[in-house]
Amino acid sequence: MTEGVAGRLEHYMDLLSLRQKLVASNIANADTPGYKTRDIDFQREFRNRIAGTAPAVEEVSGLEVKQDGNNVSMDREARLLAENTMRFNLAANLARIELRTVRSAIEEGRSG
Amino acid sequence: MSSPISPIARPLLPDAIGAAGAPARPDDFQKALAAAIGEVEGSRRAASESIEQFLSGDADELHGAVLAAQRAELEFDLFLQVRNKVVAAYQEIMRMQM
Amino acid sequence: MSLFSLLSVSGSGMSAQRARAQLLVENLANAETTRTPQGGPYRRKDAVFAAEPAPSPFASVFEAETGAAGTGVRVAEVIEDTREPEKKYLPGHPDADAEGYVAFPRINPAEDMVDLMSAARGYEANVAAIVAVKDMINRSIDLLR
Repeated sequence: MTEGVAGRLEHYMDLLSLRQKLVASNIANADTPGYKTRDIDFQREFRNRIAGTAPAVEEVSGLEVKQDGNNVSMDREARLLAENTMRFNLAANLARIELRTVRSAIEEGRSG
Repeated sequence: MSSPISPIARPLLPDAIGAAGAPARPDDFQKALAAAIGEVEGSRRAASESIEQFLSGDADELHGAVLAAQRAELEFDLFLQVRNKVVAAYQEIMRMQM
Repeated sequence: MSLFSLLSVSGSGMSAQRARAQLLVENLANAETTRTPQGGPYRRKDAVFAAEPAPSPFASVFEAETGAAGTGVRVAEVIEDTREPEKKYLPGHPDADAEGYVAFPRINPAEDMVDLMSAARGYEANVAAIVAVKDMINRSIDLLR
């Protein structure tokens, strides 16, 4: 792995955290009249990394709107909750392996 | 060099070192280490590619990246052990030739 | 970092659903209450939810960084049913009026039971979100190991 990969893992985890926060907001507002489901275009945000700009949060299209104007789908949010957690944990594992390798290189360098 | 975990750790030292009877020259150590570094770099590059695939959503099975990364870490750890042994052997020989 | 504000978002969801559930339980318990201290039969209550940015101890620093506060929820108001109560002809009833009619609450127990289950599921979904995020936070801490 290179320095670049470690940075990309961190960016990946940052975006997943933001996405998970939007999922939590959707779940909390599953019964709020008029509330519309929000999300980010993950792949687009991950590819177009411009330092300093916050990812664009947008309303999700194609969801069924209930009588009170709310369009939160608990199925969708539950699925995303699980998927984001899995991907985040996987990325964290990869980052931990990378940090261990760098750490042992530093330690060996000191004593070698 | 054979070891119980040989499927993951291919021999990092060429047989040139320790060939019976042949006196070791400083050159041999350098070549051995260079070869070992080459191996490790290869596995780290492969891990890098695997991780890129996972990040861009191209990976079919998520475990591919983790396996490649752990393999790279193992090879690196093994390389460190080998490097330490090689350095110690080199210093020993330099001492003896004084 | 944004993970911590997520906890207060889901926490607000739990509070709101629990408040809603409490009102529904009160409705069910009082489905037949014909006499209240205010006079007249019990009137059905309902919670109105509204979205609201969730506060977090780290809000000022990190919200500025990420640019987006998590959106929590709160009970904006509790509304009482203002419709005319249901009148049933029961001349012998202690609360019957001059014509022998008794005013009953307009409550459909089946409907409120369904709403109660929905509130319970909503509550559990918020709990699931907190569990998932606690896992993610712990993994982040493990990176230091």
